[in-house]
Amino acid sequence: MRRSHAVLAAALLVSAPGCKRAQREVVVYTSVDQPFAEPIFRDFEKRSGIRLRAVFDTEETKSTGVLNRLIAEAQRPQADVFWSGDPVRPFILAKRGLLEPYASPAAASIPAQFKSADGLWTGAAARAKILLVNTQRVAPSEMPRSIRDLANPRWKGQGAMANPVFGTTTMYVAALFTVWGDDRARAFLEQVKANGTRIASSNGEVRRLVAAGEVAFGLTDTDDAHQALLEKAPVQVVYPDQDDLGTLVMPNAVVLIKGGPHPAEARALLDHLVAPEVEKRMVETAGHIPLRRETAAVPTAPGPSSFQTMHVDYARVADEIAKIEPWLRQWAGI
Amino acid sequence: MGRHLSATLKRAEEPLALGLVGAVLIVASLLPFVFLVVGLVRAPAELSAGMALLGSREPWFVFLRSVVSALAVALASVLVGVPLGLLLGCTDVRGRKAALILHAFPMFLPPFLLALGWFFLFGKSGLWGSEHSSSALFSLGGSVAVEALVFTPIITSLVALALQRIDPSLVEAARVAARPGRVATRILLPLAWPAAALGALVVFALSLSELGVPMFLRVRAYTAAVFARLGAVQYAPGEALVLTLPMLIVSLALLAMERRLIGPRSFAVLGLRAGEATVLPLGKWRPLGTIVAWAVALATLVPLVGLAWRARTGIAALQDWIGSGLQNSIVPAAIAATLLIGIAVVLGRAIALGRAGATALDALMVLAFVTPAAVLGVGLIGVWNRPATQTIYGSLAIIVIGFVARYAVLPTRTFAIAVAQASPHLEESARVQGAWFLRRLLRIVVPLHARAIAAAWLLAFVSCLRDLETTILFYPAGSAPLTVRIITLEANGPEPVVAALALVHVLVVAAALVAGALALRLRRAA
Repeated sequence: MRRSHAVLAAALLVSAPGCKRAQREVVVYTSVDQPFAEPIFRDFEKRSGIRLRAVFDTEETKSTGVLNRLIAEAQRPQADVFWSGDPVRPFILAKRGLLEPYASPAAASIPAQFKSADGLWTGAAARAKILLVNTQRVAPSEMPRSIRDLANPRWKGQGAMANPVFGTTTMYVAALFTVWGDDRARAFLEQVKANGTRIASSNGEVRRLVAAGEVAFGLTDTDDAHQALLEKAPVQVVYPDQDDLGTLVMPNAVVLIKGGPHPAEARALLDHLVAPEVEKRMVETAGHIPLRRETAAVPTAPGPSSFQTMHVDYARVADEIAKIEPWLRQWAGI
Repeated sequence: MGRHLSATLKRAEEPLALGLVGAVLIVASLLPFVFLVVGLVRAPAELSAGMALLGSREPWFVFLRSVVSALAVALASVLVGVPLGLLLGCTDVRGRKAALILHAFPMFLPPFLLALGWFFLFGKSGLWGSEHSSSALFSLGGSVAVEALVFTPIITSLVALALQRIDPSLVEAARVAARPGRVATRILLPLAWPAAALGALVVFALSLSELGVPMFLRVRAYTAAVFARLGAVQYAPGEALVLTLPMLIVSLALLAMERRLIGPRSFAVLGLRAGEATVLPLGKWRPLGTIVAWAVALATLVPLVGLAWRARTGIAALQDWIGSGLQNSIVPAAIAATLLIGIAVVLGRAIALGRAGATALDALMVLAFVTPAAVLGVGLIGVWNRPATQTIYGSLAIIVIGFVARYAVLPTRTFAIAVAQASPHLEESARVQGAWFLRRLLRIVVPLHARAIAAAWLLAFVSCLRDLETTILFYPAGSAPLTVRIITLEANGPEPVVAALALVHVLVVAAALVAGALALRLRRAA
């Protein structure tokens, strides 16, 4: 009798998260950094009374790990919301018919270029691809100013970038392909490799390499730069290619998953994630760029109106990613 | 009629029990592979892409590099582990039992956690770090060194335990005519070689399939290439499966080698042999032997110093970050270990006694253990994420299934060796007296091997606790085990908090091992 009680208790314990409960809940998959996302989730739970269950990405597979889990689970979606660290992964889901359109009223003040007209995705604060430069290794007059400096013999063996197979670097490289065309972009990446540029496992690793002075500069994101500056590392942020190409802005994107188990709660969460308060919080704690003009920026990440942005169509960039991915893997040697 | 049926059923107890265990293993371990193979057949483009990839030079270069790296890890582990096993297993080194226990402890921890500890010590901003130490750590050599230190205790422990099982009179006789050094090289080492060879095979297999350490230290590894097919933009599980073929071939070769060279003498089980252990006095070399043995033994614990040092300022913030990670680690690990013991008792005995079908199930368990966990994970998602199985897929039960699929081999092999080393006469007598299989199993086999069962449970439990790669792909939302929580926080979370979380994991494993050791001791005393 006692043994059967123990078995029953074990079964209840194991299946607990899967049980239907009176409490409302919502499931979110996110590639936004856990240290920034988790407090926002806790705040949502407090305000709404809805229990939130999250799946986070690891740094190495950032933006692609949970994306692929979403694809693997497509037949029976487990997630209600995907909070992506960039705006192009949602297009990969959209192409597979996995998204549910929803134009959140909370996103009314977000500029049109940072959300989709049909409500498939909504931007929520952004990052930019910048050059992080070690000020102990590089004099102010010699600062690299362009992404092309990664291929410049002047900086041979002194630059770093994250593996373009993963994370926001994939998006950046794909954006280059859309702007420059295949031949020029491929030639550039081959030159980058030939120039001895360190290929790090992640943007966070690029930050570490630059902050430690192991390389002179690296291509990374504004939130990583923000982190380096908070740690008082000897670094300076350069918004690259201000004379021509421009700097790529990558808004986080929130999407609803079609057929998700908790549609009403999913909308409530999406409303929360695109609200001005959350944008403000991402700006202040994660060094993100505000998309709304009325949200005050931090000095390390000024609003997109204060620098020249790269003009790209995020949908086209998403298409380009699918096209160049096999070549990129070959380039990266994996 | 009723009596006839009952007798028939009783006669069929053993094949039925084995069939049930086989069914569990087929569902947990084999179905995920079947799912992937079927998917591959349905998507010939992925098959062609995978084959084309295998036809190019690059993957083979990475594979060869990984094989060489794993060989280097195995060699380094043998070079350190065998002499240390000799010193700690059968000499009069002071405190050798304590040294062996402390030395062996890190092998129950996730390797990436220890890599993290080394990083906190020798990374550029580490406790003893410099630019040079950081460069050395983040290199192929650094990765080999970290893995060698993680896996050396496997060889040390196997060799020490094997030597403790040697008949002391053999050594006594040899010592009459020979010096200790000659006894060690001519008698003890040859007797310990099966354990050393098995240890080398295990270390090689573990190093070849290791993902966390090379990924953390930014070293190119074949497992990472396979993982990239699942974590990149083009989700290609079929390609990943094709890419695992070289690893599976190597695994099968290792399995064949193990069967041919070592046979059933594979695993030593703690405390199977009662009585006095062999002691080879070191004489005037005892103080030096003690210093060397302790110094080398404790080297594996050094990364824990790094974790503790970095965690100093993170402990206060633990409650904000630990969430339900501890519960999500312990509960499924304990349940999986208990289920695995059920499998181990039936299947382990069948393997030891050479029952039909047992060898095939053993091979399946080995393959599930050495196949890159990410591939197994995708197969598990395919099998279990269905409308009818949502209660399982959406709960910690899926983690339990993942653990059963991956770790069945460990407690089963442990128990198999325990049975193989014991006398079969007791069970045979009971059978002659008319006791049917289940009665013999519950009344004789289980009580006779209670300590081996406890040790096997503990091994299964800590193996599940240290898991990262299997569960990271499919853990239920909001139910991340502690290891997953550490790795997702590692890159951008506050370092002291990450170190503190890692330290919590270390303490949980230590507590489990201490509790297990006490339980085994009480059982022996009883």
